[in-house]
Amino acid sequence: MKKNLGVYICHCGGNISDYVDVEKVRQAIEHEEGVVLAKTTMFACSDSNQKEMVEDIHQYQLDGVIVASCSPKLHLVTFRNVTETAGLNKYTYVHANIREQASWAHSDDKEGATEKAIRLVRAAISKSRYAEALYPNKFEAEKAIAVIGAGMAGMKAALSIAEKNMSVVLIEKENTVGGHVAEWGSLFMTNEKGSELVQRIHNDLLQHENISILTGTEVVSSKGSIGNFTLTLQKKHQPVDNLRETMEINVGSVVIATGFDHYIPQRGEFSYLNNENVISLPDFKKLTDQSTGKTLLYNGKEIHDIAYIYCVGSRQSEGENKYCSRFCCISTIHTAIETKKKFKGIRNFHLHRGIRTYGKQELLYDEALQNGDIFIQFHDDFPPEVSFKNKKTSLKVKDLLFSDKELLLDADLVVLVTGMLPRIDQSIGQLFKLPKGRDNFYNEIHMKLRPVETVIDGITLAGTCQGPKNISESVNSALSAATKAFSSISNGLVETEPIVAEINGNSCVWCGECLKACPFEAIEQKEIDGKIIAVVNKSVCKGCGMCAPVCVPNAIDLIGYSDKEIFSMIDALVQ
Amino acid sequence: MEERRKKIEFDALVIGAGIAGGETALNIANNGYKVLLVEKDHSIGGKMILLSKVFPTLDCAACITTPKVSEIARHPNITVFTESEVTSIVKKTESLFIAKITKNPRYVHVEDCTACQLCEKACPVSVRDEYQFGLVGRKAAYIPFSIANPKAAVIDLEQCTLCGACERVCPTHCIDFTMETECFELQVKTVVLATGFQLFDPLKIPRFGYGKYKNVVTSMQMEREIAPTRPYHTILRPGDGKIPDQIAYVLCTGSRDDSVGNPVCSQVCCMYSMKQAQLLMGALPMADITIYYIDIRSFGKGFEEFYQQAKDMGVNFVKGKIGKISEKENGNLILRYEDIQEGIVKEAEHDMVVLSVGMLSNQSVHQIFDGEMLQFDSLNFIWQSDLLGSPAKTNIDGVFVAGTASGPMDIPDSILSAGSASSEAISYLIQH
Amino acid sequence: MTSFVKKNAKILVFSTEKISDPAIDMAGLLKLHYPPTVYTITVPCSSGIKPNWILHAFEKGFDGVFIAADGTDCVFGESCTEKTGKVVAMTHEKMKQNNLDPARLRMAALCSVCSDAFVRQVRSLNEYLIKTRYSEK
Repeated sequence: MKKNLGVYICHCGGNISDYVDVEKVRQAIEHEEGVVLAKTTMFACSDSNQKEMVEDIHQYQLDGVIVASCSPKLHLVTFRNVTETAGLNKYTYVHANIREQASWAHSDDKEGATEKAIRLVRAAISKSRYAEALYPNKFEAEKAIAVIGAGMAGMKAALSIAEKNMSVVLIEKENTVGGHVAEWGSLFMTNEKGSELVQRIHNDLLQHENISILTGTEVVSSKGSIGNFTLTLQKKHQPVDNLRETMEINVGSVVIATGFDHYIPQRGEFSYLNNENVISLPDFKKLTDQSTGKTLLYNGKEIHDIAYIYCVGSRQSEGENKYCSRFCCISTIHTAIETKKKFKGIRNFHLHRGIRTYGKQELLYDEALQNGDIFIQFHDDFPPEVSFKNKKTSLKVKDLLFSDKELLLDADLVVLVTGMLPRIDQSIGQLFKLPKGRDNFYNEIHMKLRPVETVIDGITLAGTCQGPKNISESVNSALSAATKAFSSISNGLVETEPIVAEINGNSCVWCGECLKACPFEAIEQKEIDGKIIAVVNKSVCKGCGMCAPVCVPNAIDLIGYSDKEIFSMIDALVQ
Repeated sequence: MEERRKKIEFDALVIGAGIAGGETALNIANNGYKVLLVEKDHSIGGKMILLSKVFPTLDCAACITTPKVSEIARHPNITVFTESEVTSIVKKTESLFIAKITKNPRYVHVEDCTACQLCEKACPVSVRDEYQFGLVGRKAAYIPFSIANPKAAVIDLEQCTLCGACERVCPTHCIDFTMETECFELQVKTVVLATGFQLFDPLKIPRFGYGKYKNVVTSMQMEREIAPTRPYHTILRPGDGKIPDQIAYVLCTGSRDDSVGNPVCSQVCCMYSMKQAQLLMGALPMADITIYYIDIRSFGKGFEEFYQQAKDMGVNFVKGKIGKISEKENGNLILRYEDIQEGIVKEAEHDMVVLSVGMLSNQSVHQIFDGEMLQFDSLNFIWQSDLLGSPAKTNIDGVFVAGTASGPMDIPDSILSAGSASSEAISYLIQH
Repeated sequence: MTSFVKKNAKILVFSTEKISDPAIDMAGLLKLHYPPTVYTITVPCSSGIKPNWILHAFEKGFDGVFIAADGTDCVFGESCTEKTGKVVAMTHEKMKQNNLDPARLRMAALCSVCSDAFVRQVRSLNEYLIKTRYSEK
């Protein structure tokens, strides 16, 4: 049991101290058994406080440290490392979350928040008394990475890993690589064609011997964890024979680059599918890309006046698509400019909700304005109405910039500027248990601290599966994910948390219940000193604790979550 | 001088220790390479370390930056040079760059300084505090700011009267007026440019009255007023110390404006203004906040939702272009603006005006390349030679760009861009 | 008539590190308020919660216990939901034996962004516990 505990209570520059009386917390706990040092600090995570902690650990010969600050998801690792620097075992460190779960959650009740913070710190102190020195499990990692999805993000992630001399398996469900980008013509900012860009990257990929590209292949199952994932791959139905091939690959890490789906308007949404002159942006891009004449023809009809309706399926006040899809404003403006250049007599009418050509994209917006494109902003609550009479498509729109004056306009073609959706096929997410955000895209751990990592160790996110992005943003995210994946296994070793189940051989009577409960086959039957008992294989155990509640003689504890630790925390919370 | 150049050797040189440069250095160093991180300022952490909270999660900026800078400062593979500048870079071969670096004296031995602030108290010279964007003063012997890294004193020799008061009170005798400029010749295999951006100077738009009317401040000044390490303990308007309750934001100050030579959008001003508005509403529950905008550009993950949240909280959004700001006798300000929605010119009175200034290119690395020259785009940002295929590549093989040195971007994008640049640099190191 | 202050119930929440605790954090971030007498102990997986922990909490004075389960998002596999359900059933059985109202223990699966659901759940349990506590007296 620990005797010399040091407790640090963080102001978080007001984030905590505006609602929690940190000095009162300090006074409440400074006389707790074993506490030899109790301090408040402006920023516990600051370098100066970290240094001070190291000095304190030496000076007061602390054998346990508790920091009460923000969520452990942010800084548990930071403070574990501080204690390790000072020579303590980092697993003896205990964290109390008094920001997300006290000051912020109860900003309406300062006294209540303070009282709760006191109890949370007491519970952490109690747990700290029992916290044991633990040592991470180290094991060999497979020095290979799987990248799922061979769109721009997946291809670039694979290329970047191969350039670092590591083997990559690039898995693509479709029969060709390149994803959505391969379907696109001239791309904004550089005017390179999508297909050319994909071809260029594909050629680079083919230069590397350590990349295997598996197209027409799906991942159907995943076993294992960081360092050692076993993925089962299946060739999709071949048209000639109906045989399904499966194969297994072993990799140390997985990059998810499954991309997005285009929003498909519903029948009748701005007359989509009811009026053949209403098409989606991807279809329009295909049309202009494939048309070769001097006049743009659609269904044999000459097209001159084009109306673009923005934010179709994005920025919706109801449902899941509340987000902005980010790429569509610039993509539409670029397409409008290119269409005007390529074909005779084009007039562009942009019906929008505020143009979002952020950064240098603004230059293209200026160009469109100079080209004489008409921009009409409509009110969020009054979308344009599309009607079809006497073989003519007309739009009725209230111009926000003209005191909501109603305008009528005829168009040869109406283009619905459709946004990005999270993949409708969520099978990869389900396979790896990837958490999703409020927008239903896969979620990173922290947008700024760990933007490509997921809560599943060894799984990183690249490109638009994490949220809407344009091409260069996707590539940046892909290279970030590739580097994280590479760094985590490049030395051939991974460390995992030492939190595993422990069986008390004296109490165990081998009934087999734990074996049945374990999802990882980590429990083995063994004869020790003539007695048959259950033992845990530490390299296989993932530390879920599922075996513990089913043990009839209560012989199983999860390290770090033993009865005595949990009981002491409960006692401290309720005392 | 030339003979006295100390020769040093690293695998990678990262110029600029803001959030992008720091992230780049960490990524490269974590793969076992030795990195030299050069920063011209006295602290690492760039502009982000000075911010209050960050959108769209409202995490405190210090909570994200301070552990990062701490990790950088302690990393066994990273050497940090503060108050240093790279004066030239020449590419000799595919895997050899020669850089000249000047390390200016701080007049304080950082390793001995305990940041006790006694020198600060003893110093008789008061000057404008640039880290608080001029809202308050500082001494000529001073700690840059409370969460600076390294947290050590600096002597501002230009302002110093050489009275010796600081030297006399320093308990560790770490103040040393004999320190000299050090010059280095660096051999390195790859270079990452993370030189960041410059804030638009609103003095260039005289009709907004910045510099003339005290209650017209920049967004960076407001950022400091609401930061945890803020100069006052509440939000005050600088003119008379009154707590403001009618605050206006003027978006696109120095952005999307050909008349000041910056036609592009700065990408962050809409969002940081909405963030400040939300924080101000928390701090000053009675205050009315009005945001004058051209278009609201809340395009990133969680941004549109953040915009809706600001509207729901009662932030007043007016689609309007500010023509002129004038001051009343009581210090209040009259904004003359074109209400774009109604198409008429209107006037509104506010007691404090915040100019949401944009991001301009930082041209400090423009002249340093000798031989093979670095190329820039029309706005003087570093040119991305393969924008869609490899956004971190510049026109010089082996030289990469991270963060806002290549164009305006927000923090999440800067970090991803740094991930991209470090990935390219690591590949380059492995292959050369 | 004596009017008495409606005192919040003491509720112990078991959350899970990777799934439900982030949702509870997010509730704080979004300032979705809930009673400050709700305390959380975080465990790796909700199916590892022992019935005797819950009984101990009641014995020591907690009014209610809420298990913020992983549900189908559990990183340890799909059997989590069923196994957490079994833990709850076992505990309910033991609670009955000890003359404890089984409704004082509730469970719901929370995803990593289900902050609203968390707040709704604990508020509703709090209301229930206050109501039954006062009617008992």
